[in-house]
Amino acid sequence: MSFSYVLKLFIHPSVGWAAIHARRYSVAGVFIGHTLLFALIPAVAGYIGTTQVGWQVADGEVIRLTGASAGNIALLYYLAMVAGVATVGAAIHWMGKTYGADQPIGQCIALASFSATPLFLIGALQAYPVLWLNLVAGLPVLAFTTYIFFTGVPIMMEIPQERGFLFSSAMLAFGLVTLVAMLAVTALLWGTGFAPSFTS
Amino acid sequence: MAQAHTYNDKVVRQFAVMTIVWGIVGMSVGVFIAAQLAWPVLNFDTPWITFSRLRPLHTNAVIFAFGGSALFASSYYVVQRTCHVRLFSDRLAAFTFWGWQLVILLAAITLPLGITTTKEYAELEWPIDLLIAAVWIVYAVVFLGTIVKRRVKHIYVANWFFAAFILAVAALHIVNSAALPVSLWKSYSAYAGVQDAMVQWWYGHNAVGFFLTAGFLGMMYYFVPKQANRPVYSYRLSIVHFWALTFTYIWAGPHHLHYTALPDWAQSLGMVMSIILLAPSWGGMINGIMTLSGAWEKLRTDPVLRFLIVSVSFYGMSTFEGPMMAIKTVNALSHYTDWTIGHVHSGALGWVALISFGTMYYLIPRLFGRELYSLRLVEVHFWIAMTGIVLYITAMWVSGIMQGLMWRAVNTDGTLTYSFVESVQAMHPFYIIRFLGGLLFLSGAIVMAYNLWKTVAGAKTAPAAIPAPAH
Repeated sequence: MSFSYVLKLFIHPSVGWAAIHARRYSVAGVFIGHTLLFALIPAVAGYIGTTQVGWQVADGEVIRLTGASAGNIALLYYLAMVAGVATVGAAIHWMGKTYGADQPIGQCIALASFSATPLFLIGALQAYPVLWLNLVAGLPVLAFTTYIFFTGVPIMMEIPQERGFLFSSAMLAFGLVTLVAMLAVTALLWGTGFAPSFTS
Repeated sequence: MAQAHTYNDKVVRQFAVMTIVWGIVGMSVGVFIAAQLAWPVLNFDTPWITFSRLRPLHTNAVIFAFGGSALFASSYYVVQRTCHVRLFSDRLAAFTFWGWQLVILLAAITLPLGITTTKEYAELEWPIDLLIAAVWIVYAVVFLGTIVKRRVKHIYVANWFFAAFILAVAALHIVNSAALPVSLWKSYSAYAGVQDAMVQWWYGHNAVGFFLTAGFLGMMYYFVPKQANRPVYSYRLSIVHFWALTFTYIWAGPHHLHYTALPDWAQSLGMVMSIILLAPSWGGMINGIMTLSGAWEKLRTDPVLRFLIVSVSFYGMSTFEGPMMAIKTVNALSHYTDWTIGHVHSGALGWVALISFGTMYYLIPRLFGRELYSLRLVEVHFWIAMTGIVLYITAMWVSGIMQGLMWRAVNTDGTLTYSFVESVQAMHPFYIIRFLGGLLFLSGAIVMAYNLWKTVAGAKTAPAAIPAPAH
């Protein structure tokens, strides 16, 4: 199972990556063994947080979403995360040529998916949806994610470390652009009538 | 050595040093006003240090004093090296230096006193505007004059970007600042109503497009290949995206006036041109990244390369975010919120400041004939700056979207769900995070200033000889 890899990855990233590299994941293998499972954490936590716990804005009353609306959002959220991992994996595969790497797509998706593990785990905090708390807790975790990603690129892609740094930086730019695109798409959907419905 | 056979590096040194000085001044004011937003008591009920007066001081100081000095320094350095001649005129070059410093000094006095035209990024009153115009025209004469007397046939692409920046900014400044003075420190814009707004944002957005983009692309096209020690990845691409960028940027201004009295067709035109702008912007990013990507072996020994790589990445990110935010539906949510402030700073800190830092790390040791004092401190600066930028941008994304959603939330009876002050209250934690981000970025700049100070202290400068052209 992927749990032992995750543990190794957190305790000693380069050892963890070497083990994942040696496992030579197939595309289906990564998704079933890791992505589909771990992406459940933020989706379920988000559903609980928005329907049961709720949040407060500026000392106002507690706001919650209706079960149906939150269910739709949680499902979309889950799919977006899985699609995000697949897209980043595909981008790593595509960009690999520029940086002298030629790894099968399974390895690339494993790199994307395992790198995102800390983010999936901190997603549990969304059960308690206080925005600034999630941001403050999320930032160090994001930093750790970046760190294990930078460690993972040279190992998974079998390229020298300096070249890996450039590759990782290019991927980080790609990740930021994807993030901004998701912000814009969310704003577009919200603005064109797909806003969530709140309990009153 | 006869003067004609050496470069005029004196003016480059002067501008380079002032880049560092004004960078620290401008960023300090920024950190202070960020603190004022989090803790309003810091306004001290004193008119000249209120947020409203210090905010234009911050923007003018970082854009025109810090960014401007970096552009003067790098353009004067690059045009001499790539044309193999001394600057067109030493006296006129000295005039641009002292004139520009006087403009900054006058801005630092008049803005806190509340003397302002109220035009964003063009707040300075008409006497200072006249001085800016004079300095800028002389700048154009010095720069273009140097190109005219060049000893090589080809005009290197960096000079095209610098020339476009200088000429466009001259036109923008003179047209937008046209005003009728009523007294020494008060004037009224030559335009009225929506025309005034349109001229203002034609200026405002092209200040971003030409001052903060074309000028800094000029910087990129010289210092990135130099530091990477490799040719530009695609010279053809650099020419194509130069002309595309120049022609497209000029039309994008109306996206600052979505859902205002500006005619709807003009808004839509601005939106479409803003989206098209993505292509030429990314042409520059691809060229920068691909040039740097070949230099990976140098990365181990050269932390300056990191500044350049990350700056180009941020350029790519913010030029993607801009077109997204220009889409009317997205803009309906994002406009007037902190998302805009976050977007501006991902460009300003991530692109403009980082590439300027990289350039200064390249330039200052060479100008003073010294080795950089500490590569270790460059690395420290890099990581502090990165942490600062990430804190700043994420805080503004979250708070901006939250603000937008709160402002548009309505109850079933059609009344607003939140009062404005409730949204202000909700911003408080994010304003603290943003303040910390800014403080980190400023600390990084101070580390750089110390490093460069140790580099140049006691250095004796010698004039650099002009090598003969290669062909």
